[in-house]
Amino acid sequence: MSKEIARFTINGRECELLIEPCTSLLEVLRDHLELTGTKSSCGVGECGSCTVLIDNKPQLSCLTLAITVQGKNIVTIEGLASGNNLHPIQQAFVDCGAVQCGFCTPGMILTAKALLDDNPNPSRDEVKEALSGNLCRCTGYVKIVDAVLAAAQIMKKGGA
Amino acid sequence: MITTLKSFQYFHPNTVEEAVQILNKYGDRAKVLAGGTDLIPSMKRQKIAPQYVVYINDISQLKHIDFGAEEGLRIGALVSHHSIASSSIIREKFQLLAKACNKVGTPHVRRMGTIGGNICMAGPSQDTIPALLVLEAQMKVVSLQGERIIPVDEFFTGPFQTAITGEEIVTEIQIPCPPSDSVADYQWVTKRTVVDETLVGVAALLGMDLDRGVCKGARIALGSVGPKPFRAREAEEIIKGEKLESKLIEAVAQAAAEETKPRSRADYRRREVGLLVKSTLEHLWSQLR
Repeated sequence: MSKEIARFTINGRECELLIEPCTSLLEVLRDHLELTGTKSSCGVGECGSCTVLIDNKPQLSCLTLAITVQGKNIVTIEGLASGNNLHPIQQAFVDCGAVQCGFCTPGMILTAKALLDDNPNPSRDEVKEALSGNLCRCTGYVKIVDAVLAAAQIMKKGGA
Repeated sequence: MITTLKSFQYFHPNTVEEAVQILNKYGDRAKVLAGGTDLIPSMKRQKIAPQYVVYINDISQLKHIDFGAEEGLRIGALVSHHSIASSSIIREKFQLLAKACNKVGTPHVRRMGTIGGNICMAGPSQDTIPALLVLEAQMKVVSLQGERIIPVDEFFTGPFQTAITGEEIVTEIQIPCPPSDSVADYQWVTKRTVVDETLVGVAALLGMDLDRGVCKGARIALGSVGPKPFRAREAEEIIKGEKLESKLIEAVAQAAAEETKPRSRADYRRREVGLLVKSTLEHLWSQLR
Protein backbone atom coordinates (compact mmCIF):
# COMPACT_ATOMS: atom_id res chain seq x y z
CA MET A 1 0.00 0.00 0.00
CA SER A 2 1.14 3.52 -0.64
CA LYS A 3 2.73 5.63 2.04
CA GLU A 4 1.38 8.98 3.09
CA ILE A 5 2.86 12.04 4.74
CA ALA A 6 1.99 12.72 8.39
CA ARG A 7 2.82 16.15 9.79
CA PHE A 8 2.48 17.05 13.45
CA THR A 9 4.29 18.72 16.31
CA ILE A 10 6.10 16.47 18.74
CA ASN A 11 7.42 17.93 21.99
CA GLY A 12 7.50 21.37 20.41
CA ARG A 13 9.26 20.35 17.17
CA GLU A 14 7.67 20.10 13.74
CA CYS A 15 7.80 16.61 12.36
CA GLU A 16 7.13 15.20 8.90
CA LEU A 17 7.17 11.48 8.20
CA LEU A 18 6.38 9.17 5.32
CA ILE A 19 4.36 6.30 6.83
CA GLU A 20 1.93 3.55 5.98
CA PRO A 21 -1.59 4.53 7.13
CA CYS A 22 -1.78 1.37 9.26
CA THR A 23 1.07 2.61 11.49
CA SER A 24 -0.02 3.47 15.03
CA LEU A 25 1.17 6.63 16.68
CA LEU A 26 2.86 4.42 19.27
CA GLU A 27 4.93 2.69 16.57
CA VAL A 28 5.89 6.05 15.07
CA LEU A 29 6.99 7.40 18.45
CA ARG A 30 8.99 4.34 19.50
CA ASP A 31 10.31 2.92 16.21
CA HIS A 32 10.60 5.93 13.90
CA LEU A 33 11.35 8.75 16.34
CA GLU A 34 13.09 6.63 19.02
CA LEU A 35 11.00 8.23 21.76
CA THR A 36 10.85 5.04 23.82
CA GLY A 37 9.55 6.74 26.97
CA THR A 38 6.05 5.94 25.70
CA LYS A 39 5.49 2.30 26.59
CA SER A 40 3.88 -0.46 24.58
CA SER A 41 1.93 -3.01 26.61
CA CYS A 42 -1.60 -4.33 26.06
CA GLY A 43 -1.95 -2.86 22.56
CA VAL A 44 -5.75 -2.61 22.81
CA GLY A 45 -6.37 0.43 24.99
CA GLU A 46 -6.84 -1.23 28.36
CA CYS A 47 -3.67 -0.38 30.31
CA GLY A 48 -2.80 3.28 29.63
CA SER A 49 0.98 2.67 29.30
CA CYS A 50 1.00 4.26 25.85
CA THR A 51 -0.73 7.48 26.98
CA VAL A 52 0.47 10.66 25.27
CA LEU A 53 -1.03 14.13 25.22
CA ILE A 54 -2.68 15.10 21.94
CA ASP A 55 -3.67 18.77 22.03
CA ASN A 56 -3.25 18.56 25.83
CA LYS A 57 -5.65 15.63 26.28
CA PRO A 58 -4.52 12.14 27.35
CA GLN A 59 -5.01 9.70 24.49
CA LEU A 60 -3.97 6.12 23.83
CA SER A 61 -1.26 6.09 21.15
CA CYS A 62 -1.71 2.33 20.56
CA LEU A 63 -5.27 2.99 19.29
CA THR A 64 -4.39 6.10 17.31
CA LEU A 65 -3.31 5.90 13.69
CA ALA A 66 -0.39 8.28 13.23
CA ILE A 67 -1.94 9.47 9.97
CA THR A 68 -4.93 10.85 11.94
CA VAL A 69 -2.97 13.31 14.10
CA GLN A 70 -2.24 15.70 11.21
CA GLY A 71 -1.50 19.19 12.51
CA LYS A 72 -1.89 18.18 16.14
CA ASN A 73 0.38 18.92 19.05
CA ILE A 74 1.75 15.81 20.73
CA VAL A 75 3.60 15.70 24.02
CA THR A 76 5.35 12.57 25.29
CA ILE A 77 7.14 12.05 28.59
CA GLU A 78 10.37 13.22 26.90
CA GLY A 79 8.77 16.64 26.38
CA LEU A 80 7.97 17.40 30.01
CA ALA A 81 11.26 18.33 31.66
CA SER A 82 12.98 21.58 30.76
CA GLY A 83 16.68 20.79 30.36
CA ASN A 84 17.83 19.10 33.54
CA ASN A 85 14.86 20.35 35.55
CA LEU A 86 12.16 17.77 35.97
CA HIS A 87 8.52 18.85 35.66
CA PRO A 88 6.99 19.21 39.17
CA ILE A 89 4.89 16.07 38.61
CA GLN A 90 8.01 14.08 37.66
CA GLN A 91 9.82 15.47 40.71
CA ALA A 92 6.88 14.61 42.97
CA PHE A 93 6.88 11.00 41.66
CA VAL A 94 10.59 10.76 42.61
CA ASP A 95 10.13 12.44 46.00
CA CYS A 96 7.06 10.38 46.98
CA GLY A 97 8.52 7.03 45.90
CA ALA A 98 5.75 6.66 43.31
CA VAL A 99 8.00 4.84 40.82
CA GLN A 100 8.48 1.11 41.28
CA CYS A 101 9.32 -0.73 38.05
CA GLY A 102 8.62 2.51 36.19
CA PHE A 103 6.75 1.01 33.25
CA CYS A 104 3.44 2.76 33.93
CA THR A 105 5.10 6.01 35.08
CA PRO A 106 5.15 7.94 31.75
CA GLY A 107 1.44 7.28 31.18
CA MET A 108 0.58 8.10 34.79
CA ILE A 109 2.51 11.38 34.69
CA LEU A 110 1.00 12.53 31.39
CA THR A 111 -2.53 11.68 32.53
CA ALA A 112 -1.84 13.54 35.78
CA LYS A 113 -0.55 16.57 33.84
CA ALA A 114 -3.78 16.79 31.83
CA LEU A 115 -5.78 16.51 35.05
CA LEU A 116 -3.83 19.25 36.85
CA ASP A 117 -3.95 21.56 33.81
CA ASP A 118 -7.78 21.23 33.89
CA ASN A 119 -8.26 21.04 37.63
CA PRO A 120 -5.33 22.49 39.64
CA ASN A 121 -6.81 21.47 42.97
CA PRO A 122 -8.26 17.94 42.63
CA SER A 123 -9.54 15.83 45.51
CA ARG A 124 -8.01 12.43 46.18
CA ASP A 125 -11.06 10.81 44.55
CA GLU A 126 -10.75 13.00 41.46
CA VAL A 127 -7.10 11.95 41.07
CA LYS A 128 -8.06 8.28 41.40
CA GLU A 129 -10.84 8.69 38.84
CA ALA A 130 -8.56 10.49 36.36
CA LEU A 131 -5.89 7.79 36.70
CA SER A 132 -8.34 4.88 36.52
CA GLY A 133 -7.35 4.11 32.92
CA ASN A 134 -3.66 3.72 33.84
CA LEU A 135 -2.75 0.38 35.37
CA CYS A 136 0.23 -0.18 37.66
CA ARG A 137 1.21 -3.87 37.73
CA CYS A 138 3.31 -3.19 40.86
CA THR A 139 0.01 -1.95 42.39
CA GLY A 140 1.77 1.12 43.77
CA TYR A 141 -1.31 3.30 43.50
CA VAL A 142 -1.22 4.94 46.95
CA LYS A 143 2.13 6.63 46.36
CA ILE A 144 1.13 7.60 42.81
CA VAL A 145 -1.96 9.40 44.07
CA ASP A 146 0.13 10.98 46.87
CA ALA A 147 2.59 12.24 44.24
CA VAL A 148 -0.11 13.82 42.05
CA LEU A 149 -1.61 15.60 45.08
CA ALA A 150 1.85 16.77 46.17
CA ALA A 151 2.56 18.04 42.65
CA ALA A 152 -0.74 19.96 42.67
CA GLN A 153 0.38 21.80 45.80
CA ILE A 154 3.78 22.64 44.32
CA MET A 155 2.31 23.79 41.00
CA LYS A 156 -0.20 26.04 42.78
CA LYS A 157 2.75 27.79 44.46
CA GLY A 158 4.13 28.52 41.00
CA GLY A 159 6.49 25.60 40.66
CA ALA A 160 5.44 24.83 37.09
CA MET B 1 -3.17 -12.83 19.55
CA ILE B 2 -2.64 -9.10 19.29
CA THR B 3 -0.61 -8.00 16.27
CA THR B 4 0.27 -4.83 14.43
CA LEU B 5 -2.29 -3.63 11.92
CA LYS B 6 -2.49 -5.06 8.41
CA SER B 7 -2.21 -2.63 5.50
CA PHE B 8 -5.30 -0.88 4.19
CA GLN B 9 -6.15 2.00 1.95
CA TYR B 10 -6.95 5.10 3.98
CA PHE B 11 -9.58 7.78 3.36
CA HIS B 12 -10.19 10.86 5.47
CA PRO B 13 -13.37 12.61 4.30
CA ASN B 14 -14.13 16.03 5.76
CA THR B 15 -17.88 15.94 5.14
CA VAL B 16 -20.70 13.40 5.43
CA GLU B 17 -21.24 13.70 1.66
CA GLU B 18 -17.64 12.66 0.95
CA ALA B 19 -17.85 9.82 3.46
CA VAL B 20 -21.00 8.25 1.98
CA GLN B 21 -19.56 8.52 -1.54
CA ILE B 22 -16.57 6.45 -0.45
CA LEU B 23 -18.80 3.95 1.40
CA ASN B 24 -21.07 3.67 -1.62
CA LYS B 25 -18.09 2.56 -3.67
CA TYR B 26 -16.53 0.08 -1.24
CA GLY B 27 -19.47 -1.10 0.94
CA ASP B 28 -18.61 -3.94 3.29
CA ARG B 29 -14.95 -3.95 2.25
CA ALA B 30 -14.61 -0.62 4.05
CA LYS B 31 -14.79 0.08 7.77
CA VAL B 32 -15.64 3.41 9.30
CA LEU B 33 -13.09 4.59 11.87
CA ALA B 34 -14.12 7.20 14.45
CA GLY B 35 -12.59 7.12 17.96
CA GLY B 36 -10.82 3.82 17.27
CA THR B 37 -11.43 2.32 20.70
CA ASP B 38 -13.36 -0.67 19.31
CA LEU B 39 -12.32 -0.92 15.65
CA ILE B 40 -8.55 -0.83 16.19
CA PRO B 41 -8.60 -3.57 18.88
CA SER B 42 -10.79 -5.73 16.58
CA MET B 43 -8.27 -5.27 13.76
CA LYS B 44 -5.32 -5.98 16.06
CA ARG B 45 -7.04 -9.15 17.27
CA GLN B 46 -7.50 -10.08 13.59
CA LYS B 47 -11.25 -10.35 13.91
CA ILE B 48 -11.56 -8.04 10.92
CA ALA B 49 -9.15 -6.92 8.21
CA PRO B 50 -10.78 -4.16 6.16
CA GLN B 51 -9.28 -3.32 2.79
CA TYR B 52 -10.39 0.29 3.20
CA VAL B 53 -10.54 2.42 6.34
CA VAL B 54 -12.63 5.59 6.27
CA TYR B 55 -11.59 7.95 9.07
CA ILE B 56 -14.54 10.22 9.83
CA ASN B 57 -13.46 11.84 13.10
CA ASP B 58 -12.53 15.12 11.37
CA ILE B 59 -16.10 15.67 10.13
CA SER B 60 -17.09 18.73 12.12
CA GLN B 61 -20.80 18.39 11.11
CA LEU B 62 -21.17 15.46 13.53
CA LYS B 63 -19.94 16.96 16.81
CA HIS B 64 -22.99 18.88 18.01
CA ILE B 65 -25.10 18.60 21.16
CA ASP B 66 -28.33 20.57 20.55
CA PHE B 67 -31.37 20.79 22.77
CA GLY B 68 -34.81 22.33 22.36
CA ALA B 69 -37.94 21.86 24.46
CA GLU B 70 -39.89 20.78 21.35
CA GLU B 71 -37.38 18.77 19.35
CA GLY B 72 -35.54 17.24 22.31
CA LEU B 73 -31.88 16.31 22.25
CA ARG B 74 -29.75 15.89 19.12
CA ILE B 75 -26.29 14.39 19.57
CA GLY B 76 -23.84 14.21 16.66
CA ALA B 77 -22.50 10.70 16.12
CA LEU B 78 -18.92 11.83 16.77
CA VAL B 79 -19.55 13.29 20.22
CA SER B 80 -17.37 11.47 22.75
CA HIS B 81 -18.69 9.70 25.84
CA HIS B 82 -16.72 12.21 27.90
CA SER B 83 -18.44 15.17 26.20
CA ILE B 84 -21.88 13.63 26.80
CA ALA B 85 -21.11 12.80 30.42
CA SER B 86 -19.90 16.37 31.06
CA SER B 87 -22.56 18.25 29.03
CA SER B 88 -24.58 20.44 31.40
CA ILE B 89 -27.84 20.06 29.44
CA ILE B 90 -27.52 16.26 29.33
CA ARG B 91 -26.64 16.08 33.02
CA GLU B 92 -29.68 18.20 33.83
CA LYS B 93 -32.34 16.67 31.57
CA PHE B 94 -30.95 13.25 30.53
CA GLN B 95 -28.93 12.34 33.62
CA LEU B 96 -29.37 8.63 32.88
CA LEU B 97 -27.47 8.99 29.60
CA ALA B 98 -24.69 11.01 31.24
CA LYS B 99 -24.35 8.30 33.89
CA ALA B 100 -24.30 5.48 31.32
CA CYS B 101 -21.67 7.28 29.19
CA ASN B 102 -19.54 7.80 32.28
CA LYS B 103 -19.56 4.03 32.85
CA VAL B 104 -18.05 3.21 29.43
CA GLY B 105 -14.43 1.96 29.42
CA THR B 106 -11.82 4.13 31.13
CA PRO B 107 -11.35 7.93 31.12
CA HIS B 108 -9.07 7.63 28.08
CA VAL B 109 -11.56 5.47 26.22
CA ARG B 110 -14.41 7.83 27.09
CA ARG B 111 -12.45 10.75 25.70
CA MET B 112 -11.56 8.97 22.45
CA GLY B 113 -14.64 6.80 21.88
CA THR B 114 -17.76 8.24 20.26
CA ILE B 115 -21.44 7.52 20.90
CA GLY B 116 -22.01 6.71 17.23
CA GLY B 117 -19.11 4.27 17.18
CA ASN B 118 -20.29 2.65 20.39
CA ILE B 119 -23.77 2.13 18.98
CA CYS B 120 -22.50 0.74 15.69
CA MET B 121 -20.34 -1.87 17.46
CA ALA B 122 -23.62 -3.11 19.01
CA GLY B 123 -22.04 -5.18 21.77
CA PRO B 124 -24.63 -6.86 24.04
CA SER B 125 -22.98 -5.35 27.14
CA GLN B 126 -22.61 -1.77 25.90
CA ASP B 127 -23.77 0.70 28.53
CA THR B 128 -25.21 3.40 26.30
CA ILE B 129 -27.81 1.10 24.75
CA PRO B 130 -30.14 0.41 27.75
CA ALA B 131 -30.19 4.16 28.41
CA LEU B 132 -31.07 4.91 24.77
CA LEU B 133 -33.78 2.21 24.86
CA VAL B 134 -35.63 3.74 27.80
CA LEU B 135 -35.19 7.24 26.34
CA GLU B 136 -36.71 5.91 23.07
CA ALA B 137 -33.92 7.36 20.96
CA GLN B 138 -33.81 7.27 17.17
CA MET B 139 -30.76 7.01 14.93
CA LYS B 140 -30.40 9.18 11.87
CA VAL B 141 -28.64 7.19 9.18
CA VAL B 142 -27.31 8.61 5.91
CA SER B 143 -26.21 7.04 2.64
CA LEU B 144 -25.74 8.32 -0.90
CA GLN B 145 -29.41 7.45 -1.48
CA GLY B 146 -30.65 9.73 1.29
CA GLU B 147 -31.43 9.49 4.98
CA ARG B 148 -33.63 7.35 7.18
CA ILE B 149 -34.57 7.26 10.83
CA ILE B 150 -34.27 3.99 12.75
CA PRO B 151 -35.86 3.65 16.23
CA VAL B 152 -33.36 2.30 18.74
CA ASP B 153 -35.29 -0.94 19.36
CA GLU B 154 -35.08 -1.78 15.64
CA PHE B 155 -31.45 -0.70 15.29
CA PHE B 156 -29.85 -3.71 16.96
CA THR B 157 -30.48 -6.99 15.17
CA GLY B 158 -28.19 -9.35 17.11
CA PRO B 159 -24.86 -9.47 18.91
CA PHE B 160 -22.54 -6.98 17.18
CA GLN B 161 -25.11 -6.57 14.39
CA THR B 162 -27.16 -3.55 13.37
CA ALA B 163 -29.80 -2.64 10.82
CA ILE B 164 -27.44 -0.36 8.87
CA THR B 165 -25.71 -1.42 5.67
CA GLY B 166 -22.07 -0.99 4.66
CA GLU B 167 -23.04 2.02 2.56
CA GLU B 168 -24.58 3.94 5.49
CA ILE B 169 -23.29 5.88 8.46
CA VAL B 170 -25.06 6.98 11.64
CA THR B 171 -24.92 10.76 11.78
CA GLU B 172 -27.09 11.69 14.74
CA ILE B 173 -28.82 10.30 17.82
CA GLN B 174 -32.19 11.95 18.43
CA ILE B 175 -33.74 11.74 21.87
CA PRO B 176 -37.20 13.11 22.69
CA CYS B 177 -37.74 14.92 25.99
CA PRO B 178 -38.62 12.44 28.73
CA PRO B 179 -42.28 12.58 29.87
CA SER B 180 -43.01 15.24 32.48
CA ASP B 181 -42.92 14.05 36.10
CA SER B 182 -40.57 11.22 35.24
CA VAL B 183 -37.31 10.04 36.75
CA ALA B 184 -34.72 7.66 35.33
CA ASP B 185 -31.58 5.83 36.39
CA TYR B 186 -28.99 3.31 35.17
CA GLN B 187 -27.46 0.73 37.50
CA TRP B 188 -25.02 -2.08 36.78
CA VAL B 189 -22.71 -4.75 38.10
CA THR B 190 -19.47 -5.55 36.32
CA LYS B 191 -17.11 -8.41 35.71
CA ARG B 192 -13.91 -7.98 37.69
CA THR B 193 -11.64 -7.51 34.68
CA VAL B 194 -9.22 -4.87 33.53
CA VAL B 195 -11.98 -2.81 31.93
CA ASP B 196 -14.83 -3.90 34.27
CA GLU B 197 -17.16 -4.85 31.44
CA THR B 198 -20.81 -4.71 32.43
CA LEU B 199 -22.21 -8.08 33.49
CA VAL B 200 -25.75 -6.79 33.98
CA GLY B 201 -27.04 -3.28 33.23
CA VAL B 202 -30.49 -1.98 34.12
CA ALA B 203 -31.94 1.30 32.88
CA ALA B 204 -35.35 2.38 34.08
CA LEU B 205 -37.63 5.36 33.62
CA LEU B 206 -40.72 5.89 35.77
CA GLY B 207 -43.50 8.30 34.89
CA MET B 208 -45.67 9.50 37.75
CA ASP B 209 -49.32 10.46 37.94
CA LEU B 210 -48.91 12.96 40.76
CA ASP B 211 -52.66 13.51 41.28
CA ARG B 212 -53.43 9.86 41.84
CA GLY B 213 -50.10 9.03 43.46
CA VAL B 214 -49.52 6.10 41.10
CA CYS B 215 -46.99 5.17 38.46
CA LYS B 216 -48.26 6.17 35.02
CA GLY B 217 -45.88 3.86 33.24
CA ALA B 218 -42.41 2.46 33.29
CA ARG B 219 -39.71 1.70 30.78
CA ILE B 220 -37.14 -0.91 31.76
CA ALA B 221 -34.20 -1.93 29.56
CA LEU B 222 -31.71 -4.69 30.28
CA GLY B 223 -28.14 -4.95 28.97
CA SER B 224 -25.73 -7.89 28.78
CA VAL B 225 -28.39 -10.53 29.50
CA GLY B 226 -29.34 -11.49 25.95
CA PRO B 227 -28.07 -11.30 22.35
CA LYS B 228 -28.78 -7.57 22.44
CA PRO B 229 -30.03 -5.07 25.03
CA PHE B 230 -33.85 -5.05 25.13
CA ARG B 231 -36.93 -3.59 26.82
CA ALA B 232 -38.48 -5.84 29.48
CA ARG B 233 -42.04 -5.24 28.24
CA GLU B 234 -43.80 -7.76 30.47
CA ALA B 235 -42.23 -6.29 33.57
CA GLU B 236 -43.20 -2.81 32.38
CA GLU B 237 -46.88 -3.86 32.01
CA ILE B 238 -47.10 -4.88 35.68
CA ILE B 239 -46.32 -1.34 36.85
CA LYS B 240 -48.82 0.64 34.77
CA GLY B 241 -51.28 2.56 36.97
CA GLU B 242 -50.02 1.02 40.21
CA LYS B 243 -48.43 2.23 43.41
CA LEU B 244 -44.90 0.87 43.59
CA GLU B 245 -45.19 -1.06 46.83
CA SER B 246 -42.58 -3.60 47.78
CA LYS B 247 -44.69 -6.59 46.71
CA LEU B 248 -45.20 -5.11 43.25
CA ILE B 249 -41.52 -4.25 42.92
CA GLU B 250 -40.68 -7.88 43.72
CA ALA B 251 -43.08 -9.05 41.00
CA VAL B 252 -41.60 -6.62 38.45
CA ALA B 253 -38.06 -7.72 39.30
CA GLN B 254 -38.99 -11.35 38.88
CA ALA B 255 -40.78 -10.72 35.57
CA ALA B 256 -37.73 -8.84 34.26
CA ALA B 257 -35.41 -11.67 35.30
CA GLU B 258 -37.61 -14.16 33.45
CA GLU B 259 -37.39 -12.15 30.24
CA THR B 260 -33.59 -12.52 30.06
CA LYS B 261 -31.60 -14.98 27.94
CA PRO B 262 -28.06 -14.83 29.32
CA ARG B 263 -25.54 -16.85 27.32
CA SER B 264 -23.20 -17.53 30.23
CA ARG B 265 -23.42 -17.46 34.03
CA ALA B 266 -27.19 -17.47 33.48
CA ASP B 267 -28.29 -18.17 37.06
CA TYR B 268 -26.13 -15.46 38.48
CA ARG B 269 -27.01 -12.91 35.83
CA ARG B 270 -30.73 -13.58 36.21
CA ARG B 271 -30.58 -13.18 39.98
CA GLU B 272 -28.58 -10.00 39.52
CA VAL B 273 -31.22 -8.60 37.10
CA GLY B 274 -33.86 -9.12 39.81
CA LEU B 275 -31.76 -7.37 42.43
CA LEU B 276 -30.80 -4.47 40.18
CA VAL B 277 -34.34 -3.89 38.90
CA LYS B 278 -35.50 -3.86 42.50
CA SER B 279 -32.85 -1.40 43.69
CA THR B 280 -33.32 0.85 40.65
CA LEU B 281 -37.10 1.02 41.09
CA GLU B 282 -36.85 1.58 44.84
CA HIS B 283 -34.38 4.39 44.24
CA LEU B 284 -36.62 6.04 41.63
CA TRP B 285 -39.81 5.59 43.66
CA SER B 286 -38.16 7.23 46.67
CA GLN B 287 -37.33 10.22 44.44
CA LEU B 288 -40.95 10.53 43.29
CA ARG B 289 -42.71 10.32 46.63
